[in-house]
Amino acid sequence: MLEMKNVRKVFRTDMVETCALDEFSLTVDQGEFVTITGPSGCGKTTFLNIAGLLETHTSGQYLLDGVDVSQLRDYARAKLRNQKIGFIFQSFNLMPDLNLFDNIDVPLRYRGMKSAERKERVDKALDSVGLFARKKHVPAQLSGGQQQRVAIARALVGEPLFLLADEPTGNLDSNTAKGVMALLEEINDSGTTIIMVTHDQSLAEQSKRNIHILDGRISNNTEQTQQKAAAAA
Amino acid sequence: MEIGPILRALSRNKLGVILISLQIAFTMTVMVNAVFIINERSKLMARPSGLDEPNTFYLSSTGFGDQFNSQVTERDDLELLRNTPGVIDATPTNAIPISGSGSSDGLRIENDPTLPATPAAVYFTDEHSVNTMNLTLIAGENFSASDMTYQSSNERRYYRKAIVTLALAEKLFPEEGLAAVGKSFYRDQAPVQIVGIVERLQAPWPNSFFVEQAMLVPLNFTDATSTYLIRTEPGQRDRLMVEIEETLAGNNPDRIIRGLKSLQETREESYRLDSSMATILLVVIVTLVFITSMGIVGLAVFGINRRRKQIGTRRALGATQLQILRYFMLENFFVSGVGVSIGAVLTIAFSIALSSLFEMPTMDWYYTPIGMLLLIAIGQIAVLGPSARAAQIQPAIATRSI
Ligand SMILES: Nc1ncnc2c1ncn2[C@@H]1O[C@H](COP(=O)(O)OP(=O)(O)OP(=O)(O)O)[C@@H](O)[C@H]1O
Ligand SMILES: [Mg+2]
Repeated sequence: MLEMKNVRKVFRTDMVETCALDEFSLTVDQGEFVTITGPSGCGKTTFLNIAGLLETHTSGQYLLDGVDVSQLRDYARAKLRNQKIGFIFQSFNLMPDLNLFDNIDVPLRYRGMKSAERKERVDKALDSVGLFARKKHVPAQLSGGQQQRVAIARALVGEPLFLLADEPTGNLDSNTAKGVMALLEEINDSGTTIIMVTHDQSLAEQSKRNIHILDGRISNNTEQTQQKAAAAA
Repeated sequence: MEIGPILRALSRNKLGVILISLQIAFTMTVMVNAVFIINERSKLMARPSGLDEPNTFYLSSTGFGDQFNSQVTERDDLELLRNTPGVIDATPTNAIPISGSGSSDGLRIENDPTLPATPAAVYFTDEHSVNTMNLTLIAGENFSASDMTYQSSNERRYYRKAIVTLALAEKLFPEEGLAAVGKSFYRDQAPVQIVGIVERLQAPWPNSFFVEQAMLVPLNFTDATSTYLIRTEPGQRDRLMVEIEETLAGNNPDRIIRGLKSLQETREESYRLDSSMATILLVVIVTLVFITSMGIVGLAVFGINRRRKQIGTRRALGATQLQILRYFMLENFFVSGVGVSIGAVLTIAFSIALSSLFEMPTMDWYYTPIGMLLLIAIGQIAVLGPSARAAQIQPAIATRSI
């Protein structure tokens, strides 16, 4: 479903060249929950951005759902993001001027969906994160955990192939973080693939599969057994 | 389309919307009314005087000393002028059209001084005036040399014939049209017969309410000063102005030549106030439109910079570049829409106030909608650059910046 072969990403600025990803090969299958760990600056966000088509890679091959995305134009990439990928950000990235309903509605509007279907889907998504009653509220009226739930609802509302999350619990206290993690696991259990960057070692150990990155390369790719994961929990 | 969310987001930033839309409304009010005033002024300026203005000039001869015989000098001068190669014709006159100074009379169709009189400009001139002024005689006939009378300008003026403009004929005899030829009116309790009607000839005062009511009268003053109106072949005017002034000044030591001027210069001088007012208004319009566009650009740039991460997030969620561009164009469209709606009300109120205060005609209905469309277009053009730049914002902003 997600297949990277020898992906390389070089950032060129006036003075320096930074190789953020190097010989990066990875396959993620349908239904997996993959955590990405590694020290700061090792290339986690870079990987996520390339996987999510937010950035292009310098060389190598990336097949998304069987399609080689290397040559795609900006328009096609936007359409793919809209249809196949759900994003969850560390700082939620909700639109402060829009209420919760309109926030979750954003990707569906870009898809050109009819208003009745959008309403049905947004209401369902709001309900699934337990915030239906607050759909007229704006993000500022919500706690951090609630805002992240809205962001998760927004990521899910388009029924994407997979979710990409960059430290989704990074801005939350540990209790709230647990709640958000439980929600993500629930989502994964119902079949949605999740790739999540985290700094939290215990979260990484809980996940079915952990990828450890060092200096832009995969240093460790562990499939954890259910038992080990359960024991860690 | 995202009309609903854009409007709801704007409604959370009311102050900014109100400020910029008031600026748009104010700009529109000034712009539309100023354009209307400029148009009205240029309509006035565009009215033809009836003369062949590019090829006409005039000068005055003033005699002095006991030896000077004005009537003889004038006869000789006119003969010389009419025989000068390149001159089409020349005529003596007491007043110059558009110049701002001349004589008028009050005319009545019955000999009853208590009745209201119709005002008309009077040109005291001769049988060459129709040709010199390039007038079109549409009824009746020209004067003949035998119609001419001569007198001092200090005496009670006495004349029996007149060639009137169509506008004056229609004013005096509304029912008759061209059949007014042959009819008489009274001035100073004496009857005057209309012998001819010309299509048009303006009075000397461009801003007069009876500017189209004028007449030619076959009377010449025997005063020491004579003014000659001279029409030349096309392209000969400037040369002849120099030559004729020299010739006339040289051929008679008992007089001086003054006031040499072309009719074009006269028109420019008479309408100088109007044309400089139009220029000032134009500068005001351009300045206001510029400031308002800058305001729109500034607000757009500010709004876009403030929302860079939001834009990146929208891109991450699947917005195409075109959808981002359209978002900001639409946002400006709605703000402009509020602005021009307020502007329409202000524009109409202002124009009503202007027309009642300054006796100006009321503005034609189409000025306001055209002004609205124009300001919306200006807003859209102003916001195009910033919106295009917003569309260039990279989706990676969503994860890269805090
Ligand atoms: N736009 C850019 N221009 C130049 N260098 C960049 C750019 N973005 C990232 N980098 C560099 O690429 C490398 C990888 O960055 P990346 O953001 O992927 O790290 P990360 O693993 O997500 O770090 P953190 O845990 O701190 O978020 C870093 O050295 C970073 O400085
Ligand atoms: Mg990062």
